[in-house]
Amino acid sequence: MESVGLSSLIGMANAGPGPQEGQAEKGGRGFADVLQSSVEKVNDAQLQADEAVGKLHSGEAKNIHEVTIALEQADISLRLMVKMRNKAMDAYQEIMRMQV
Amino acid sequence: MNIFTAMQISSSGLKAQRTRLNVISANMANMETTQTPEGGPYRKQDVFFEAVKTATERDSGVRGEKGVREVGVYDVAPNPRPFRMVRDPEHPDADENGIVLMPNVNPMEEMVDMMSATRAYEANVTAVKAAKRMALKALEIGR
Repeated sequence: MESVGLSSLIGMANAGPGPQEGQAEKGGRGFADVLQSSVEKVNDAQLQADEAVGKLHSGEAKNIHEVTIALEQADISLRLMVKMRNKAMDAYQEIMRMQV
Repeated sequence: MNIFTAMQISSSGLKAQRTRLNVISANMANMETTQTPEGGPYRKQDVFFEAVKTATERDSGVRGEKGVREVGVYDVAPNPRPFRMVRDPEHPDADENGIVLMPNVNPMEEMVDMMSATRAYEANVTAVKAAKRMALKALEIGR
């Protein structure tokens, strides 16, 4: 009984990280990469909005609505990023509060 | 095919309606114009729209959602209606019978088109607002 339990545990320990590594290699993207790219996208949206406002002021932009829509997009992506950050912080604090 | 597709499509609608308003303004401004570079009086211009692929579809080549199309202006063409004939012998553009050809612009028609363009513009703005509201509502999930 004991040996069966142990071997199955060892099997689990061996099997545990196996598929995860495989997935990480297959996808090539860990959580950090995903976070990095999404933060970059949000930054791009902010820069685009900035550029659009600059163009509006310099009289280069011909359509006001393109500027306002760029601003809205930047706003929504920033809100989404803040939401993600809050979720990550919640998870971190939940772990830190854990009694050891 | 992301959350901003609706906004991009509405943006194309806003742009198209702005073009339409520009052309209507030109028609109104040239209501009494009797001379043009092409010769003859000003001819009323009409705007024609077409459904085009979305910007993301054009840029990335990835096929978007079925039936989702942006709007584009495919042509601004002169209206073939005959010119108005007005008798005014003192006018420098009058012919030997004292008849002056006036543009085929009907101010009433232009006013109606202008109201229609304004309402269509407002409708597109409302669609942008709805898209934003939906995105923000999605961010409220799990709050």
